[in-house]
Amino acid sequence: MTSLRREPSLLLALLVVTGLVLLFIVYPQVRVVATPGGSGYADFFSGGSWVRPLQNSLSVTALSTTTAVLLGFVYAYAMVYTDMRGKPFFRLVGILPLLSPPFVVAAAYILLFGPRGIITYHVFGQSPNILGLFGIWGVQTIAFFPFSYQLIADVLSRSDARLEQAARNLGAGPWQVFRSVTLPLTRPGLGAAILTTAIYVLEDFGNPALIGGLYTVLPTQAYGLISGFGDLSGAAAVSTILLGLALVIYVAKLRLDGGRQYVTVSGKASSIPRPPVPRWVSWAAFIACSLCALVILLVYGTLVVSALTLAFPTNLGFTTQHFEYVGAHSLSLRNTLVYGLVAATLSGIFAVFAAFLVERGHWRGRRVLDFLLIMPAAVPGLFFGLGYATAFNEQWLDWVDRGALITISMIFWNIPVGYQAAVAGLRQIDRSIDEAATSLGASGLRTFRDVLVPMLGGSVRVGFTTTFVRAVTTLSVVIFLFTTQSTTATITIFQLVGDFNWGGATAFTVADVGMAIIALVVIAVLGRGRVSLGAARG
Amino acid sequence: MADGQPGSSAPEVLPGAAETAHLRVDNVTKRFGAAKAVDNVSFAIPRGAFATLLGPSGCGKTTTLRMIAGFYDPDEGDIVLSGKRINQLPAHRRGTAMVFQDYALFPHMTVKDNVGYGLRVAGVAGKERERRVAETLEFVGLGGLGHRWPNQLSGGQQQRVAVGRALVVRPQILLLDEPLSNLDAKLRESLRWEMRELQQQLRMTFIYVTHDQDEALSLSDWIAVMNQGRVEQAGTPWEIYYRPRTEFLADFVGAVNLVPAIARDVRGATAVLAFGGARVPVGLPPGVSVREDQEVRLSVRPESLWLASAGATAQGMISLAGTVARRAFLGDIMRYWINVDGREWIVDQADPGAGVAFEGSVSLMLRPERAHVIVPAPAPAELPSP
Repeated sequence: MTSLRREPSLLLALLVVTGLVLLFIVYPQVRVVATPGGSGYADFFSGGSWVRPLQNSLSVTALSTTTAVLLGFVYAYAMVYTDMRGKPFFRLVGILPLLSPPFVVAAAYILLFGPRGIITYHVFGQSPNILGLFGIWGVQTIAFFPFSYQLIADVLSRSDARLEQAARNLGAGPWQVFRSVTLPLTRPGLGAAILTTAIYVLEDFGNPALIGGLYTVLPTQAYGLISGFGDLSGAAAVSTILLGLALVIYVAKLRLDGGRQYVTVSGKASSIPRPPVPRWVSWAAFIACSLCALVILLVYGTLVVSALTLAFPTNLGFTTQHFEYVGAHSLSLRNTLVYGLVAATLSGIFAVFAAFLVERGHWRGRRVLDFLLIMPAAVPGLFFGLGYATAFNEQWLDWVDRGALITISMIFWNIPVGYQAAVAGLRQIDRSIDEAATSLGASGLRTFRDVLVPMLGGSVRVGFTTTFVRAVTTLSVVIFLFTTQSTTATITIFQLVGDFNWGGATAFTVADVGMAIIALVVIAVLGRGRVSLGAARG
Repeated sequence: MADGQPGSSAPEVLPGAAETAHLRVDNVTKRFGAAKAVDNVSFAIPRGAFATLLGPSGCGKTTTLRMIAGFYDPDEGDIVLSGKRINQLPAHRRGTAMVFQDYALFPHMTVKDNVGYGLRVAGVAGKERERRVAETLEFVGLGGLGHRWPNQLSGGQQQRVAVGRALVVRPQILLLDEPLSNLDAKLRESLRWEMRELQQQLRMTFIYVTHDQDEALSLSDWIAVMNQGRVEQAGTPWEIYYRPRTEFLADFVGAVNLVPAIARDVRGATAVLAFGGARVPVGLPPGVSVREDQEVRLSVRPESLWLASAGATAQGMISLAGTVARRAFLGDIMRYWINVDGREWIVDQADPGAGVAFEGSVSLMLRPERAHVIVPAPAPAELPSP
């Protein structure tokens, strides 16, 4: 790309992109942070109501991250290193949770282990109180270990099998190779995977909201302050603490992995074989994975059964009435599909174009724009949504359709994955390719359109699918933005669970996840079999 | 440059011909951070010349080429194309098509679409475009391969596509950045002749960047040898090879013997170079002067020396007594390292199969007119203060 001075059209494009980033990424966040004001913060911090939720958030994040990462690591090691049976099945089961809102695990947990749970009450005749720390811990472990698995498997599979072969060749045993070669080489990647999981757990709103009970964490505290007391200032202050924590973790992660944050779910085996592990390790891995898969299937199985029975678990008579209910209230599903597809398309395009301007441009301040485009990955959905609610809740903006606002929030919240994929893609395209087009007479924008975009197909797909999946599964971004006309599937599920309408809630969940799967299959077919997902989150 | 030397059949392509120059680079400097990649470089290239920038990696040759293409802006100096200063012209409006080292073919386009891309950008209509693409493919010897994808072609074919793609837009100047360096030796040589042939047919101005001296010598009308951001010497291949003005140049282009000597009997354009017991009369190249008793280098190419049995002498030759230190059979030549007064000389003997290999004591025969004087650059500390 020649300098912007010589190409006014590029300069104009850059100004537009920067303007949009400032308006839809920076401005809403500044508004939230600024909402309480000086005295507001003083009152808030002296009030001390934030201490408990902060402590709770920290302990639950530490606990859930640890267990989720451990399970995820076992699963990933088994998938990448052993030759256990049933890998395609385990891979499929591992993807399933990525396509559904994480808080459905809490819903299934209540149905299985709640006071009237099928296992606790109907099998053991107990009505335990499952609300609180242990409930959240267990549910988040199950909800987030598949994310952790995807991230860790990606790191492990990128470790060089030739080095491991070489170490084995020099006489090291499998465990020794893993400890002395694989682990040191993958440590930064593993560290980043752990921190990414920690951010997911930290900002998780749905699970603590459903089974936290009196155990309040920062996201539920923020939500409670607004929905219960209309205390926008307090909610903004709590959210700002949450943002601060997430940013600290995120900056640590960036230092470890330099900002890679998407994994490729391609199902394609590595071309170089890894050295074999002992048989008993494969068997142990198989058993461990089977247990994990069983838990995941139990969660989704419960949801499906509940969606198809009259009153799970008391009356297990078959019915389609819950799906009829979904059909009659399909507005939220339709909204989810429309917002998801529109946001995914625009987010993918915008991310690739912004990456082109940053990666191929020679202008001052590109590092700043780069940071702003990556930053939303650290912003908890609740904070992001609160930002839009604060910034664009003005009377003179009443003409703006709420659905459009939700779509825009999804576009910009999800920019980082597509953007980073595009930057990585651009770095793999030698600049001489651009220069060849330029020397043949193509302007910067023309080069982008004719040469780079067709070559960046993969990155566009990553941005598209990730944004779509996250749009379909997010609850926290939308919770402050929706109206009755612009409600989404996750909101509906959340409300139905709150109303103890389990049949409706589970039927909606099945429909939502089913819709996501169908959409992804269509996308995969159109994209010739390659689906790349940034790890999604709620 | 009619200095009457054999082999100097090149057209008039000297920096002096600035008025008729197709491309002029005037006092151009390019900095990357504190480092000067290109340091006050000037040259002029006449229309229709095959001009080469030659030098080791990092010498600034590619940076210079990229400034001509418009991919870098010079920090100082002007780039003048057909009498017009083009510093401010964006790269895509310069009409300087480029052939890249890695070819930079568009992997998502067929050969035909690659070659036709420049025409598409220029808005050339479909029929006309197809005709010109077919013509160009034929011209570069790729007729019938238009529907292939770049990854289905051999390295040599890809290189031809790259050349065709650049030629089809009829550029003012064709820039070539080490276009042959990714090919194996045999292919490189045969494509070298094709490249020269092509240029002669089109009479187009080529600016060719390479680190390969054989390529530079065999292809070019004019060569600028660059080192550390400066043009060390520019001239015809013959001048560059046989009349190098600096030790770097002599050493960079081919193998050379550089023997420390003292200048004696300096008279106008001649001098006698004394080393050991030998005295070699040499002519001074234009623009080069030496002082009496100045330390200089005698420069002579290995193939300009002969070996004979010990004690042999010949009319018009200087004979030095030496011993064979070692030798290497290189196929077309036998290379000897001959020890003369504690100093090793390299001697190449052509057609080694025809004679016997020398061993032990030998005579090293030197014809004075094949030798040449190089005046070492004064060390910076010795520069007279301005």
